Amino acid sequence: MTRLRLDRRDLLLGAFLVAVAAGALYATRTLSVGHAADMGPGYMPRVVSLALLGFGLFFLARSARGATATIEPVRLRPLLAVLAAVGVFALTAERLGLAIASVLTVLLAGLATRETKPLESMGFALLLSALAALLFIKVLALPIPLWPR
Amino acid sequence: MELFDNLLIGLSTALELKNLGFCLIGVLIGTAIGVLPGIGPIPTIALLLPFTFGMEPAGAMIMLAGIFYGAQYGGSTTAILVNVPGETSSVVTCLDGHQMARQGRAGLALAIAALSSFFAGTVATIVIALLSVPLAALALKFTAVEYFSLLVLGLIAAVVLAHGSVARSLSMVLLGLLLGLVGIDVSSGAARMTFGVPALSDGLDFVPVAMGMFGLAEIIANLERPAERHVVSQAVRGLIPSWADLKQAFPAMVRGTALGSALGVLPGGGAALPPFSSYALEKKLAKDPSRFGHGAIEGVAGPEAANNAGAQTSFIPLLTLGIPANALMALMIGALMMQGIQPGPQIMREQPQLVWGVIASMWVGNLMLLVINLPLIGLWVSMLRIPYRLLFPAIVLFCCIGTYGISNSLFNVWLMLGCAAIGYFFIKVGVEPAPLLLGLVLGPQLEEYFRRAMLLADGDFSVFLTRPISAGLLVVVALLLAAMLSPMVVRGRKQALAE
Repeated sequence: MTRLRLDRRDLLLGAFLVAVAAGALYATRTLSVGHAADMGPGYMPRVVSLALLGFGLFFLARSARGATATIEPVRLRPLLAVLAAVGVFALTAERLGLAIASVLTVLLAGLATRETKPLESMGFALLLSALAALLFIKVLALPIPLWPR
Repeated sequence: MELFDNLLIGLSTALELKNLGFCLIGVLIGTAIGVLPGIGPIPTIALLLPFTFGMEPAGAMIMLAGIFYGAQYGGSTTAILVNVPGETSSVVTCLDGHQMARQGRAGLALAIAALSSFFAGTVATIVIALLSVPLAALALKFTAVEYFSLLVLGLIAAVVLAHGSVARSLSMVLLGLLLGLVGIDVSSGAARMTFGVPALSDGLDFVPVAMGMFGLAEIIANLERPAERHVVSQAVRGLIPSWADLKQAFPAMVRGTALGSALGVLPGGGAALPPFSSYALEKKLAKDPSRFGHGAIEGVAGPEAANNAGAQTSFIPLLTLGIPANALMALMIGALMMQGIQPGPQIMREQPQLVWGVIASMWVGNLMLLVINLPLIGLWVSMLRIPYRLLFPAIVLFCCIGTYGISNSLFNVWLMLGCAAIGYFFIKVGVEPAPLLLGLVLGPQLEEYFRRAMLLADGDFSVFLTRPISAGLLVVVALLLAAMLSPMVVRGRKQALAE
């Protein structure tokens, strides 16, 4: 007998939705629900989370129907590099200033693909950093420091 | 004639020098991102939103609208020359447009695409002007009850008419609604799902959500695919179509415009659905359907007219009812609200300059696109030679700075990071995030109207069915949902979307 093959896409989506709905129900458990004519702050969250929970369970149940499509394999390099680039910006922008944060962000993002050439990437990062400083600080007057404080 | 008065007010706004400038900037940016595959109008508009704060509302809307329809123009250039759709709406143009290019008729294909778009843009501008007044008048009769039903219809229709599984899209709408509830509840002052984070008390900003899910997640997914982009490097000649070509293309243009205008007004409409329908229609009407896919001129004219008409008429629900037809219009609503303007039927009376200015600017913008795009075609083609390895780090950086700029908060950058990860997860499990954005923007309104409707009716749900307009809207919702469940329609829809 063959083993039951689950549809991984439905399974993962269902699990995600159930988790979100459960989290929302937990986070809003103390809010008063009230009733339709006099809705409390918890009314809408309760209704929407329960509906979402229903959908999550539906997808979980549907995943048992068997695999209809496969998930393309996840490649970690682009995922991690792009997320790290954003993270580094968030960590450094206010402390080290826009100039340095921009260079770091562009360099890290460049790691996402093997095609990046180190020298070209460095030069491009400096260029973009200068451009960003000019556009966002000089022209648009964004209140963000340019250099480390 | 009230119509002419309105259009005159609009033209006087749109032709102000600074607004002409904003319009030009908008259509140029739009064309550029349209030409480049991998960047769509949604992250671009999200990115530029923070910089429209300091602008007058009319100028801001004119520029953002220009980006949207400019992108439709640019998308077809890439489709014809490189056989890669610059935007989803130009997928169909690849079929015959690229074949024409390979036969040495690239110039003709580009010219026909531009002319069709211009023709459709002109007609669609008139359609918007004609329909806006009666629709807005009707909308003034609406109470909270009707609005609630209308919002429900908008959300459901957006799901049904969009690509992909209906159940998945519905779940995305709900997720968006849930995210829209985050923040301080306006009527009770209670904090909901803020987890003690002060930055969350005003609710989730939709810009980081849009940029993360549409911009960054797309980049990550693009990088996973092997890079394959080869520009057809040939001199583009023969831009002036012959009389015979025009005669062959014109009926398709007219039909495409009509179809696009009608489909664009529907909630969930916009630029994606009309070209597919138009291509199918042209193929069905043609005496010799086998020419399609081998460089049929109608296969370029019809869909190009349809996508441009659809892109423009999808502004009607936004301008008259304050309800976005798709995720992009949701961003436009956000732009209005950031300017302190509450979208809804009252803006036609209170802000005629704004509304008619935007409408008239669409025609002006289309004219600009026609005039600047054909001579500049070489420039746009050379943009395609920018390697993606340089393009994407720049986009990542500008997304970071842009997100920070909305409220000068690093929290939004972290939020974007989280949304990028979730957006990537959604791509992997095959869900479209567009309905989520719609739910996020409409969530607070939906709750407010529901609350008011229930106050009016004293908690009696039947009020939604006893009021005629509201009942009519809900009947349409029921029909749409019933249709989606019937196996025959499901099969037909799959076929239509596959074509």
